[in-house]
Amino acid sequence: MNSVRRLVWPYLIWLGLLIVVPSVFIVLATISTFHIFNEYSFKFTTESLQFLRDPIFINAFRNSWKYAGMTTLICFFIGYPVAYYFARSENRNKTLYVALLIVPIWSNMIVRIIAWENIFKPVSIINLFGLSFDLIGRDSAIIIAMVSMYLPFMIFPIYAVLDKMDTALIEASRDLGASATQSFFKVTLPLSLGGIVSGVIMTLLPAMTAFALPERIGGGTIILLGNLIEKEIFRGSFSIAATVSFVVMIVMLGLFMLIIRFDKEGETLL
Amino acid sequence: MKKLIEIKGLSKSFDDNLVLKSIDLYIRENEFITLLGPSGCGKTTLLRVLAGFEVADEGTVLFDGAYLDDTPPHQRQINTVFQKYALFPHLNVYHNIAFGLKLKKLPKDEIDRLVKEVLKLVKLEGFEHRNIKTLSGGQQQRVAIARAVVNKPKLLLLDEPLAALDLKLRQDMQYELKEMQQALGITFVFVTHDQEEALTMSDTVVVMRDGEILQIGTPEDIYNEPKTRFVASFIGESNIIPGTMLRDYRVKFEGLEFDCVDKGFNLNEAIEVVLRPEDIELKPATDGIVGTVTDIIFKGVHYEIIVDVKGKEYIIHSTDAQRVGDKVSLVFEKEDIHVMRL
Repeated sequence: MNSVRRLVWPYLIWLGLLIVVPSVFIVLATISTFHIFNEYSFKFTTESLQFLRDPIFINAFRNSWKYAGMTTLICFFIGYPVAYYFARSENRNKTLYVALLIVPIWSNMIVRIIAWENIFKPVSIINLFGLSFDLIGRDSAIIIAMVSMYLPFMIFPIYAVLDKMDTALIEASRDLGASATQSFFKVTLPLSLGGIVSGVIMTLLPAMTAFALPERIGGGTIILLGNLIEKEIFRGSFSIAATVSFVVMIVMLGLFMLIIRFDKEGETLL
Repeated sequence: MKKLIEIKGLSKSFDDNLVLKSIDLYIRENEFITLLGPSGCGKTTLLRVLAGFEVADEGTVLFDGAYLDDTPPHQRQINTVFQKYALFPHLNVYHNIAFGLKLKKLPKDEIDRLVKEVLKLVKLEGFEHRNIKTLSGGQQQRVAIARAVVNKPKLLLLDEPLAALDLKLRQDMQYELKEMQQALGITFVFVTHDQEEALTMSDTVVVMRDGEILQIGTPEDIYNEPKTRFVASFIGESNIIPGTMLRDYRVKFEGLEFDCVDKGFNLNEAIEVVLRPEDIELKPATDGIVGTVTDIIFKGVHYEIIVDVKGKEYIIHSTDAQRVGDKVSLVFEKEDIHVMRL
């Protein structure tokens, strides 16, 4: 073990420098006048926390939950049947289905966002098919793009639990007098709860903190938490940007604790 | 006794693989019947057709005189004990057992009473609130049995339920299952590849191979009068010797003539003789079948002795040891000679 431990050091250094240290800065910047360009006037203050009452923040916070929430809900209702179908199909087809899910994720997310941006503009390649949209800045455009980005993250964890589930359990349920529908709600659904929680969180979190997607497809008019952080940094309000980041960190940690609670073996975390 | 199940001309194939070839079989009420055969013989498929998990390609199943073929599994008065128990991991012992009762919408106190009763039957009193994952294999097995029998099915299907248990536990469970079957008065269809299990528990044994039934009979019949070479070698160890049936009650093998108890063969019909290892006695070489002891292995209760007779090996089980190299005579009674048609 000791010889392996040495090989872990590069990652630990990376983790320390790029995650732990910046996190400490964020916390410091939230609760003090600390500023990387102005380190002499250091004193503790809760001044920047006042921003959490600002309509700008409240709007961004609400937008993040709104778009992420709707995206998650839609992803769940589209994703669960897909995951179920994949998990119950023949083994040789499973590889194909999993590839169909993974390969699109491999292409850069920014590229896919720009593709959607183009499609949603009145003049785009889809004019060739006699179609034309003017959806930039609309809720529907953001949600369609978000669903297409994050759907695989909903499908995978649910597929993972359903795939491992012993089909004999369904037979046992049928055998004991439950119809196919009853078996689904009494056995399959409760047993896939861990996968559902992981899928919801893995969709909700990135959607909430999405930055490039609302920027491009929102046409600059729809502000989510990620966009707010960026704007505040460019305005030079580091402590306000840090405060918003701090809120995002807390939400992430909270949701992560939820996954751990529902999925003790970690089988759904890819 | 009344026939509970009648299976007529049942065939089933998966892809191009014919796993059941026109099976005919009836099961009487309160019978403990075992489907015995090596893996791939179709015994589990037959069980799954009875449970309703597989649909037969041809043939029909009558249950209590009514066609069962189009009844979905949840409407059959049949319950199954699954091979790996298939207990619901998200439910505790109580809710696993109460699963079927709740679907029948029985009142809560009735369910409580029935669960308590069945837990007593399977010797798991006080286990109601235990998590399934904290139970040992034997305890899970009992919960699986309780979950099935609490519904008072007319027919209980058991798919190799003892395969995952260790030897001692398996032997205990064999007796308990048999007792339970008699106490409950439920018909049991038990699937196994273990001949000892089949012989110990069953009223009737059905030996299967390659989707066909080879022999149906009581354990004694199957053991003492195997109809085919396969049955003889699958059920216990045996010495199978080619021979000729000279006439009724007279058989010839190893170049010698013997009296026997079999009849009804053609004159000079080629047959095979089965001699069970425990039916052969070894005496110092005189006449009859004479051979040389080539190996002796201590097996606990008995010795397994290998005797070479003109290049053919005989297995003999005996409580008396022999020395390797000794010349011996193989001695047996005429009742011990079992003649099989080829």
